[in-house]
Amino acid sequence: MALSSTIQKVSQHSDSRGTDVVRKGPRRRYLGRRIGHHIILILICLAFLVPFAVMITTAFKTPQDVFRVPPRLLPEHWVLSNFVEAVRAMPFLRYLANTVLLVVLNVAGTMISCPLVAYGLAKLPWRGRNVIFGTILATMMLPAQVTFIPLYLMWNKVGAEGTFWPLIVPAFFGTPFYIFLLRQFFMGVPDSLREAGLIDGASELRVYWRIVLPQAKPALATVGIFQFVATWTDFLLPLIYLNSQDKYTLSIGLYSFFGSHGVAWGPLMAACLIFTIPAVVIFMIAQRYFVQGIAVTGLK
Amino acid sequence: MTAETSLAKRSAPGMGRRRRLTIAGFGFSLPWIIGFLVFMAGPIVVSLYYSFTEFNLFQPPQWVGLKNYVSLFSDDRFLHSMFNTAYLAIIGVPLGLALALLVALALNFPVRGQPLYRAIVYLPAIVPVVTATYLWRWVFNAQYGYLNQLLSHVGLPQPDWLEEPFWTKPAVIIIMLWGIGGTTVIYLAALQQVPQQLLEAAAVDGANTWQRFWNVTWPTLTPVTLFQLILGIIGALQIFAPTYLLTQSRLSPANGGPGDSLLTYAMYLFQNAFIFLKMGQAAAMAWILFVVIGGLTALILWSSRRWVHYGAE
Amino acid sequence: MSGPVLSRRRFVGLSIASAASAGVLAGCSSGSGGKSGGKTTIKFSYLWTGEEAKALQKVVEKFNRSQKDIVVQGVSNPDTQAQLASMTGSKGAFDISDNFGNATGDWASKGIIKSLDDYIKQDKYDLSDFAPAAMETVRYQNSVYQLPIAVNNSALLYNKSLFDQAGINDPPKTTSEWASAIAKTTKSNSSGISQLGLCGTSSAGIDYQTMGVCFGGKWYTNGKPSPTDPGNIAGAQFYVDNVLKKYGVKHINRFASGFGDYQSPQNPFYQGKLAMVIDGEWQPAFIKNFAPKLEWGVVSVPYPDGHPELANTNLVSPGTFFIPSNSQHPDEAWVFLKYLVSTEAMREFTLALSNLPSRTSLLKDKAYGDIPNFDVFLNLLASKNATSMGSNPDYTQYTADLTTAADQITRLAKTPAQAYAAVATKAQSYDS
Repeated sequence: MALSSTIQKVSQHSDSRGTDVVRKGPRRRYLGRRIGHHIILILICLAFLVPFAVMITTAFKTPQDVFRVPPRLLPEHWVLSNFVEAVRAMPFLRYLANTVLLVVLNVAGTMISCPLVAYGLAKLPWRGRNVIFGTILATMMLPAQVTFIPLYLMWNKVGAEGTFWPLIVPAFFGTPFYIFLLRQFFMGVPDSLREAGLIDGASELRVYWRIVLPQAKPALATVGIFQFVATWTDFLLPLIYLNSQDKYTLSIGLYSFFGSHGVAWGPLMAACLIFTIPAVVIFMIAQRYFVQGIAVTGLK
Repeated sequence: MTAETSLAKRSAPGMGRRRRLTIAGFGFSLPWIIGFLVFMAGPIVVSLYYSFTEFNLFQPPQWVGLKNYVSLFSDDRFLHSMFNTAYLAIIGVPLGLALALLVALALNFPVRGQPLYRAIVYLPAIVPVVTATYLWRWVFNAQYGYLNQLLSHVGLPQPDWLEEPFWTKPAVIIIMLWGIGGTTVIYLAALQQVPQQLLEAAAVDGANTWQRFWNVTWPTLTPVTLFQLILGIIGALQIFAPTYLLTQSRLSPANGGPGDSLLTYAMYLFQNAFIFLKMGQAAAMAWILFVVIGGLTALILWSSRRWVHYGAE
Repeated sequence: MSGPVLSRRRFVGLSIASAASAGVLAGCSSGSGGKSGGKTTIKFSYLWTGEEAKALQKVVEKFNRSQKDIVVQGVSNPDTQAQLASMTGSKGAFDISDNFGNATGDWASKGIIKSLDDYIKQDKYDLSDFAPAAMETVRYQNSVYQLPIAVNNSALLYNKSLFDQAGINDPPKTTSEWASAIAKTTKSNSSGISQLGLCGTSSAGIDYQTMGVCFGGKWYTNGKPSPTDPGNIAGAQFYVDNVLKKYGVKHINRFASGFGDYQSPQNPFYQGKLAMVIDGEWQPAFIKNFAPKLEWGVVSVPYPDGHPELANTNLVSPGTFFIPSNSQHPDEAWVFLKYLVSTEAMREFTLALSNLPSRTSLLKDKAYGDIPNFDVFLNLLASKNATSMGSNPDYTQYTADLTTAADQITRLAKTPAQAYAAVATKAQSYDS
């Protein structure tokens, strides 16, 4: 079929994209370079890891150890009680379920709506696309606090206050940041792909879905990760729109460690660690997608 | 070019195709358009209206014309917040972009353990901002913080990071730089689109690392850089969470840090809206910011013609 | 097609399934309560978190068990923005919540919270048991808008061992004795401070508002802010002269940054780094918990020489409960509110929080006897010099400007007279 030949052309084209396969060249010449690379990377990572070092070691400290002055990085005794405390301090599974629900729906909504809008702005030469793009850009420039109250009142009138709807629905209508990002990426995809598809008789939608979208895998993976993290760590929106404990998310749960006179540091850090791990795992899985560029196997 | 013209000749006459395109374009944008009309248009218009009123959220707004806008410019807290925010944006954004690009290049090295390094750099974005800020408070502690301990080992002076008005903003910039994981990830994805053959061809032609970067890699990265620059500026001018969390407490909710040095524009806006219940002033502040950001963005976009290369072949 | 495209399809399928279940979940929830089987459910949203929230939940459960008509759903929501937002809608997300008394004027003048006068009259509710200083803060234009539950005040704590070392036999009563005690218990040299006679527990600053009233100052006169009252300036000046200028702000800042966490055994007062602090009534319970071996005492903040009538002055700030104007079940909320501030519930809750009860009848209650030195704070609340900052509508703006002034005073950027004069100028444009 004509369409599959188009895809074949695309996959040939995609071979020229940057790949990250570890080269197997003559060992000796590259060894020094590899060590140099490692050193640079390790130094960079050390800088990023400092607050984490604090977080991780605190999670294993006893309360007295946490507040030892002068503070020492490593715990005197490594304890696991904070993790037990963290999970017990809040209805952990309930919060986890709520958070997962929100995350899945938000990521889905974003992945459906944003590439669609971005494609229309990037590849279709139609009148009015600059107007739409300009407006999208403009909405990013207005501080959220200002539309916040009228928006809240709107949801309140519809009776959605206290439900998950205000936290889910907006994701299905596009987020300016991701639309902008995806537009830039789509603009980097050659026009010839679309032209070829149109010649073969496909509709714009088909061209988008079958031909161009698979090209933007790195960007899509990026957007997915970002939205995952954004929803996973969001505490402001759930705090404002949810008002019953059984709907709370994990990030709100972290608040239970902040008393009015002090913070339960050990359990808080333990909770944060637990909180962070899924996001890290997702990231490490997903980053493979934009690393390997367009793997030919993925298309067939 | 000939393919295109022949395509034009082969398909339906100009007008019909134009209209089809417009409908298609409109259709693709439909999700956003609906969302905008439902969730944004109303609140935006309402907030513009509020900016011309005195409104405390609970009693009917009272029209005062331009009073809010005028009185802001004689409010020294307002002017101070503008200065603070400009400082953070002008220094933080370019620095962040440059650093993100360098780190992305490093993360692109073909070494084993690459996914782990990448995850570590992105990790800060995953830590809830509340926790991260408290962690940084420890790191910045003047007497025992890890940063000052490091500085003392190297023999450099150790400032009172969070107590002296002069040093609080640099501390915030360091926190901002710690969070460039997101920007780095975007650059990483963009680096995958750098045409490998061109790089190899250049190497064969004898270009060194810098020349290869400047002539092949950088042009491919310019669209993404434009994107990051605009968004970086928009974000930096609205920075709220780190400074808010470093200064707020139940007893002094309208705090701005030592000497108001951490009072950013968005923080003062928030205080006007939710602590002083001066919604009208807050709305006026928002619209002033909107104009400023709009102007800056237009400027950047206009300049982009000089240095951005789009890769449509 | 395989790989990412398939995962996209999976996403779509998953999202439809999840949306359906979300719809079910949403449908199951109620907005702000309703009737179910003859019982009315009301929402109680509170700012407390952690241990305090747990203590409050116990009170809620007791109430629910004690009667059959009302079910209270408690929810901990520490975000004041969310609290405010909820009260702007036509249908309140909660029926009863908490705040501090000082917000009364601000909120009542804007119609945000409900006046309780009608309920009080109807039930012939007795207000006389509540401490006068606390009741001062919950009234606006002679109507009662909130009821106080737990009260905070402060006094001067001192470290007995350090006093003994310095040869001081009795805690200071007058400000000149105080100044001399500070000088005797401070150890400092050119390279830094190792022990400080008086300071804040987390930073170089101190509670200037308490200092002001203890020096005879008034923060409000005739219902208007009066920051430049001579007593206020004198209070701040005392700290500036005897601590900040004498030992140097830079050294004090360095010293203060090394303080351990407030709510821990590393609190600088517990560790003997500070000989005296002005702190609140929760300290006796904290010290019992974190530093049981500490030898300490507490007295009221000293009065200026020659003004014994100012003895036992303390600044009182109560935590309060209110019913928002947009509550959907105000009558039931009132029943619950009465329970919350009833003697039994108040005793239980304030013990858990280590706060003072707002009922004068509880001030002599045996339950508080277990905590050493708690009685000093109780007696201060009962003293005729217990005063408050009141609850004017401009309270928020005023305290925000006072905080800026405090920062300037502590950094020696302005003298107290200058700083408060600046506040007075700003105060002229407050809307009240």
